[in-house]
This record gives sequence, C-alpha cells and structure tokens, in this order.
Amino acid sequence: MNAKERIMAVLNHQKPDRMPCFGANSTVTYDQMEKVKAYWPEGHVDGEVMAKQALAAYTMLGFDAVRVPFCQTFEAVALGCKYKPARSLEGGEGIPGIDHPPLYKLDDTPVFPKDFLSLGRIPELLKAVRILKKELGDEVPIVGGIIGPFTIAGSLVDTVPLLKATFKTPEKIRPFLEMGEKAGTALALALIDAGADIISVEDMTASPDLIAPKTYRDYELEYQSRQFESISVPTILHICGNVDSIIAWMCQTGAHIISLEPKASAKLAREKCGPDVVLMGGVDTATTLFMKPPEVVREGCEESIADGIQILAPGCAVAPGTPLENLLAMVEVAKAH
Amino acid sequence: MKVLTDFTDIFVRYDLTGEKKGKAKQVSKDPIMEEIAKFVVNGDEEGILPVVKKALGTKSPMDVINEALIAGMNEVSRLWDEGTYFLPQVILSSDAMNVGIAECEAKMGKAMARKGKVVTHTAEGDIHDIGQVIVNALLNANGFEVINLGADVPVDKVVSACKEHRPVMVTGTALMTTTMTAFPKIGHQLKAAGLGIPFVCGGGAVSEEYVTSYELGIWGKEAAQAPGMAEDALAGDTWEAMRLKWNG
Repeated sequence: MNAKERIMAVLNHQKPDRMPCFGANSTVTYDQMEKVKAYWPEGHVDGEVMAKQALAAYTMLGFDAVRVPFCQTFEAVALGCKYKPARSLEGGEGIPGIDHPPLYKLDDTPVFPKDFLSLGRIPELLKAVRILKKELGDEVPIVGGIIGPFTIAGSLVDTVPLLKATFKTPEKIRPFLEMGEKAGTALALALIDAGADIISVEDMTASPDLIAPKTYRDYELEYQSRQFESISVPTILHICGNVDSIIAWMCQTGAHIISLEPKASAKLAREKCGPDVVLMGGVDTATTLFMKPPEVVREGCEESIADGIQILAPGCAVAPGTPLENLLAMVEVAKAH
Repeated sequence: MKVLTDFTDIFVRYDLTGEKKGKAKQVSKDPIMEEIAKFVVNGDEEGILPVVKKALGTKSPMDVINEALIAGMNEVSRLWDEGTYFLPQVILSSDAMNVGIAECEAKMGKAMARKGKVVTHTAEGDIHDIGQVIVNALLNANGFEVINLGADVPVDKVVSACKEHRPVMVTGTALMTTTMTAFPKIGHQLKAAGLGIPFVCGGGAVSEEYVTSYELGIWGKEAAQAPGMAEDALAGDTWEAMRLKWNG
C-alpha cells in the first residue's frame, strides 16, 4: 500500500498494511530544515519554501502525509488582524502570531472581505499545496490545516474578552464564531481546490482549558458542525488539552478523525463516539517528543495504541527543536502495528 | 418485613449533606460581607460597586477587602480547583473583586498594603498569556502586588524589572517550546546579578524537567499554585528549598 491507500483504508474501516503515522498539526523541525535547506521565517511566508519543509515529513521522516501550514495566522491575518512575525530566538526561528490591538470589539460587526482568499499569505499557502500536489500526486495525501471558529474569534476580539463574553454576553460572540467558520471553511475549500486531500481543523481556544464545556456544546458545536458539513474530503478535528468533558460533542461535529493529546482518553472517546470515528494521537509534544530519548517515545506510542489510537501522530504541533530520531522512532512503532 | 439492601444512607448526618459539589459555599456569616462576596463569586463587576459603596458606610475598607472580596475570590479558586468553575468565570470574578478593591482603596485614600511584589511575564516571542492572566489574578487576590510585564517580554526587560522592584518571586509563562528557551537565560542573568529570586515557570510548553535544569527555576504545574509559592518566597524560602518542596 502507498501512504494514501494506507490512510484511506483506516478511514474506510478496512485493514491497512500497517498503522499510518502523520501529524494533524505542524511537524516541521530544525533538523528537517537543515537537511532540505529550507528555513523559517521564509517557510511561513513563501509557498516554495513552505512546500519544501512540508515535504520533508514524507521524504525524511517517512510520515504518511504532509501538512501545511505551520502556524495559526492565515485566516486571521486575511480577515484583517495584525500579523506578528516570528521572532528569531536563541533556540531557533519561531512561529508567527497575531498581535495587539485586536481588530474588533465585541459590539462591532465583523466584515468578511470579498477578496479573502487573495489576502495575507493565503496565496502562498495555496501555492505550496499546488507544488506538493505536483510532487506527490496520488501517493501521499496532503493535509491542509485551517483554524477553528473559536480560535479565529479569539484572534478577532482578543481571547480574554471572548472568554469573558462566553459567560457574560454569550450571544455577542456569535458574529465572531460565524466569521471564524466562514473564513476557515473558505480556506478549506480553496485548499481542497489546490490539491489538499484531508482538512485538519485546529481549535485550541475551544479547549475545556479555556472555555466551559457547555460553551462548546451551546455555541461552538453548531459552527464546527456547519464547517465539517461543508467540507467534502476527510477531516480531522484537533482540540488541545484534556477534551474528555467535550468529546461526546466533538464526535457530533461530523469530523472523520479526532486527533487527541495523550492527556485526553482515547478509550473514553471510543466509548462516547462509537465505532465509526477514527482516533489519532500518540505522544506529548512538549515533553516526551521534545526532550525524552527514543525509547520513551516508543513506550508512549505503544500506550496510546493500547488506549485505542488508530493513526499514530504527535499529540499536538511538533516543537521545532524536536530531535529527528524521536520522530523516526514514531514511524518505527507505526510500522510494527 | 422490609429488608434493607442499600446501606448508603445509614449513618449519614443529614445536617452535613446539604451541600453538594458544584455549589458555592457561604463565604461570610456577616450578611453584608456575604452579599458582596456573592458578587465576586458571580463575577458581577457592575453590580458589586453599589453594594461595596453601601457596605463602606458601616464597614472598614480593609475588612471588606479581606472578609468579602478576597474571601470571595478564594471561594472562586476553590470552585475552579474542584472543576465546577471554568477559566472565564475566574477572570470575571477577579475583575469584580478588583472593582471592589479599587472602591475600598479610594475610601482609604491609599492602596491596600501588599505583602510583597511579584514580577510576572509571558516569554519573549510568545503571545499566549492566558496562564499569566490567571497567575496575575490569583496573586492579586492573595494580597501580592503584581508587576505585570505582559506578553512577549524581552529577557533583559524581565531582568531589569527584577533589579528595579526586587520582587520576592518572578514568574514566566510559555506556551511554545520555541519561547521557553528564554527562561534559562533569565535565570542565568538574575543569578549573575546576585539576585537569587525564585523563578517560577509554567505553561503548556514547560515541563518540570526543563525548568529544573537551570538555576532559580521552579516548575509551576498550575496557575493555582502561584499564591502558595509566593507565600513561601515571602517567608524567605530559597529557590532551592521551594524547588524541593514544589517539585520534589
């Protein structure tokens, strides 16, 4: 089986030749950048460099899919938020973010730009996907990453005001969730058009670490469901942290794959979600994958698999300083299952 | 004869089972204080002002601060710990408490006496400051003066703030592994300047193993630990003793 067939087998509840392994979030590391001679910050802004970095996940790591982009700013910046370029830090080049002041206040009416897809760095992202499609054809799937409604809403009005509103004036958040969903979905469709085979939705602000579970159920669920319904290709939903308290609703969104951090229970997810949803996850990216030796990485992977994971993956975005051998160790484990 | 098969209600004291998990407990036996505390617990920063103003007619500002405002915030903290309250509520309650404190301080004509200073920041290059927002709120609620440097703070700004304010403790929050690399630099520079200030680091990227790899570093697993750690620092515990106590 090639990588695409392997992943499709899991999605279709058939037996793959072995367990697939790839990231729902960014997997770019300095080791890979060095090898392919493609670096940050260029990889955040230039389609060709971005494609080179993403490709390394397949050619260097042996992952079964490649994933772009590597930050969470594309939609927000195209909507008008202030771009904060990555810092050049001692550990290496960083990841861009959204700067203050926020674009909107809660009482404002957000406006969706007509030329959204041509704004910010979206054109470069789409270019990267086209380059990857030419390179990989039907062998290796391309995962296009979008940001979920709650996180984009947080970029639009700033996270603290958004959180406060979820209890004080929850109806005021709706226009921003709506805008977030619209932006993410528009980007998803453009990514698919450019060649993306799978869409991965990252929504860290929707985590129970930040919002109450009932806020997820009463507000976010509606917009996420709408988004997943609009996307015709296989989808991944990734929410950081321990999502045990919202997992039952996460599976109601229509996502084909749920990507879990190790702190969330895959066993519980299976129990709450039934047999159809595919579970993805593996090892903690900030500690195990980043700092521990390969043996510990392997152990972590085995634990997750025993817990019910069907696609092995880093638990969240890979720390760029992660040693190459740790990522290779993951693939070894996947090959043995 | 009815045979008892369920023994769960035997030996239950009904006067102690009135409370359920998930309910706010009474904060003060004094009805005026309890009313104010309710506004803190409910995170109502508008409603709290008139109630505090009225109370200051008969109560001293420091009593209102300690018995109603801070006490209310402690109850919020407890509710958060037990999983009944969530982050937005902690932030709203902290805001309500601060409105009350400001009113009391206005009545006193001066700021309330603060136990000690704590410098807080989110790492250089990092914009994810929610953890720090909570640490600020909890330290403030526990009587510390927070020198809030904000997010994306250069290393030397943290160090110079420590030199200027001589805090009992300094905290750092980092969500990304790319930004937490600033922390060892801060630890090193503080040590070199002769400032052995306990440096409590936490956040999504940050692990105990990483933080205990540099001098002054103490791992903060949860924002809720900040006040307890600050008390230890205030009492004169060294960073080594604090690391031993909090990180094992």
